[in-house]
Amino acid sequence: MQNFEFYSAKSIEDCLDYLSEKKELCKVIAGGTDLIPVLRNEDIYPDYVLNILGIESLRGITEEDGEIRIGPTTTFTEMVESEVLNRTLPLLVQAASCVGGPQIRNRGTIGGNIATASPSADVLPAVLILGGVLEIRSRQSGSRLLPLADAIDAPYSIRLRPDEIITGICIEKLPPGTRSGFEKLGRRKAMARARMNMSIVVRTNEEGIISELRIVPGAVMPVARRMEEAEGILSGKRPDSSLMDAAAEALADQILRVTGVRWSTEYKMPVVENIFKRVLGQLLWNNKRGKE
Amino acid sequence: MKVNGISVEIPVRPTWTLLRVLREELRLTGTKKGCEQGDCGACTVIMNGKAVNACLVLALQAESQEIVTIEGLGTEDNPHPLQKSFVEEGAVQCGFCTPGILMSAAVLLKKNPSPSLEEIKKAISGNLCRCTGYSKIIKAIQSASKYGDVQKSLRVDTYWATSNAAERRD
Repeated sequence: MQNFEFYSAKSIEDCLDYLSEKKELCKVIAGGTDLIPVLRNEDIYPDYVLNILGIESLRGITEEDGEIRIGPTTTFTEMVESEVLNRTLPLLVQAASCVGGPQIRNRGTIGGNIATASPSADVLPAVLILGGVLEIRSRQSGSRLLPLADAIDAPYSIRLRPDEIITGICIEKLPPGTRSGFEKLGRRKAMARARMNMSIVVRTNEEGIISELRIVPGAVMPVARRMEEAEGILSGKRPDSSLMDAAAEALADQILRVTGVRWSTEYKMPVVENIFKRVLGQLLWNNKRGKE
Repeated sequence: MKVNGISVEIPVRPTWTLLRVLREELRLTGTKKGCEQGDCGACTVIMNGKAVNACLVLALQAESQEIVTIEGLGTEDNPHPLQKSFVEEGAVQCGFCTPGILMSAAVLLKKNPSPSLEEIKKAISGNLCRCTGYSKIIKAIQSASKYGDVQKSLRVDTYWATSNAAERRD
């Protein structure tokens, strides 16, 4: 590991001052589960490392007027154990519980998962599908709100200036009757990077017609995003097996157009289709076959 | 920081990890250095009551925190029930993963003295063992309560390999 100067910020103001001075020479550290391995490999060599774990106000989960606010240094374990999240946004709990193993979840943070923006992130796609908005601050331009969907631009990169820091992740509660599901597929159950994951949010009306559907597959494209084509096939319709198959096919097609045919395509495409049908089937009909 | 109940002050470099300070400065070599990527769990210690990989904590981030290492879990004369159980049930083969697994298991049992099979598997899912099939390890965790109070305090001010650790300034 190349040498750097380490500084522990005492408050958000302190942190903003430090970042505005050091800018791109500085890397922010929270749980360190992503940063320390790349520092050790000397993939990056910042002159300064700014620790934000000591800033109490950046941690914790609060609920206010239908909105959930999660501090960026809230750990995955804290998310999994949060009464508020289990009650209001179980999708986030499911995603957080899939990250690494217990030791990683005890250190790794939601802000870090978003800021690292790994294509195989587990929590990032869950925040994305829930329409999460980042609250960002800097010394120079005060605070701004940036939807996560607009923040993601490339693998391992989000649209955050070097003097900016995420101070909160805001997510609106889902309307009543909305169901959500998350499934991760790794090479093994624990400690695996996602080969793929699937987040789905769905709401049906009294007649059984899908009034809202959001689909975000993770780890199969350079950056996670909503899959509008597959969503469109099922939205406004009463779901059945053949529509489900059509949507699954559209999902695989859209992914394929983004990634092109790769060595793993032959394996991944049928698996994407099946995981999609399994998660949605579970939500709609309480079965894993994706059939009515 | 506090290590196994004792306050220690050690000059460190910014690049040092908690693992390096424990092993090379404090000479607490029970905590093993494995992959140094957070994958294997051999360096698991308890920080403020939670299992963490010591290789993924910068030493400076451990300032003022409470650490318990395998040396703080028990001694040869007064082993933790988990340690007795691991020996009795034959859950140790090469032993490299054992300290890490004991720490993960100790955190689990402290919270939940009679965990289910699934809870045990989940608690040690961040620890790799390449010798066994985990079944004896799981059995040993299940039977630990036969060998004493599994919830006993982890911060025992016991075995302490001081050597000349505190004086080193390199």
